[in-house]
Amino acid sequence: MSDFLKGNYDLDTIIQDDKEEVEDKFRENVLNSIGGSMVFVERKKMVWDGNDKSTEE
Amino acid sequence: MQSFSDIVESISDIGLKWHQLDIVKNNISNIKFIHKSINELPELSRVNNSAVIVSAGPSLHYSDTLETLAYSEYKGTIVAIDGSYVKCLKAGIVPDYVLTLDPHPTRLVRWFGDPDFEKNMENDNYFSRQDLDIDFRDNSIKQNQENIDLVNNYAKKTKLIIASTSPSNVVKRVIEAGFDMYWWLPLVDDPDIKNSLTKKMYQSSKLPAMNTGGNVGTAAWVFTQFWLNIEKIAVIGMDLGYKKDLPYSMTQTYPELSAMFGEDNLNSEHFPEFENPLTGEIFYTDPTYFWYRKNIIDMLNNTDSNLFNCTEGGILFGNNIKNIRLVDFLL
Repeated sequence: MSDFLKGNYDLDTIIQDDKEEVEDKFRENVLNSIGGSMVFVERKKMVWDGNDKSTEE
Repeated sequence: MQSFSDIVESISDIGLKWHQLDIVKNNISNIKFIHKSINELPELSRVNNSAVIVSAGPSLHYSDTLETLAYSEYKGTIVAIDGSYVKCLKAGIVPDYVLTLDPHPTRLVRWFGDPDFEKNMENDNYFSRQDLDIDFRDNSIKQNQENIDLVNNYAKKTKLIIASTSPSNVVKRVIEAGFDMYWWLPLVDDPDIKNSLTKKMYQSSKLPAMNTGGNVGTAAWVFTQFWLNIEKIAVIGMDLGYKKDLPYSMTQTYPELSAMFGEDNLNSEHFPEFENPLTGEIFYTDPTYFWYRKNIIDMLNNTDSNLFNCTEGGILFGNNIKNIRLVDFLL
């Protein structure tokens, strides 16, 4: 499909999609800002062995 | 402009958003290496029902707690974390257990001696900016090689409690070193809620899960208290803060905070100060450490647990925490 949409002219410059690069940079900055942190949401359960009924300490 | 408490509150969401892809991916790619879980840990042989957890805060450099432990002939259990493991070995301490948790793809492997050290540290000053280990800072390549040799020599004597979310280079390195490995799953949310990330990962790896409190030091406490069921626990190296005379630029989140507020505007509003109840010294903290502090204090309160903090510095004090000197704990 992209062949049909590309137009009937050639560009002199090569256009690079930098979206991924920007996202990577942002991701790196965010990871830097939280140091060695791990995801942490749950404050009451300490261990869980996979049973449907969780272990609450 | 964000306040200090706004930043602290946002850390959970940031961590969840940015780590979840990595941890789910790592949890699956590590399945082929998982031979034993923490369910298969042998019974503790120690008669003394107490433990010392060695976290990796700056007090390991400015205090003599490691040396005190090394010369104490302590008979209890010693639990280290990845960041303190080599420091323990250098002090003459072979820990019974070492925990590792962080999924970072290039930084964590350093704690076991990094075979790709130069490549992984390229354009990354996270450690060099903060490093209080002058020997390592000045001779990092030589020191890294020495750490590789040291870990290779001692790995077999310690049980590695390794999270299934660990990055591939850490897994490769610790297998090569010869650790006796026991796997676990970080409990990152309530497994009973709909679309739980913990439950999703469990369905792949079938590993028992432990809460982490957001960092490996607190995870080591959860492991010791709730998995090993040890009653009397002390921590050293759990500063969660910096000495007052340390420049802000040597702290972990300085680049991000200075970008957010402006280098010249950073002050004690962004780095709150606390007086340590044991030593009377002033320490300051940053949003990440403050978040860790809040998490472990909440967890201690929620589970009615007690902790001896023998760090002899830092900002960890409050309900259920007794700040005493390590020599007094070891008596």
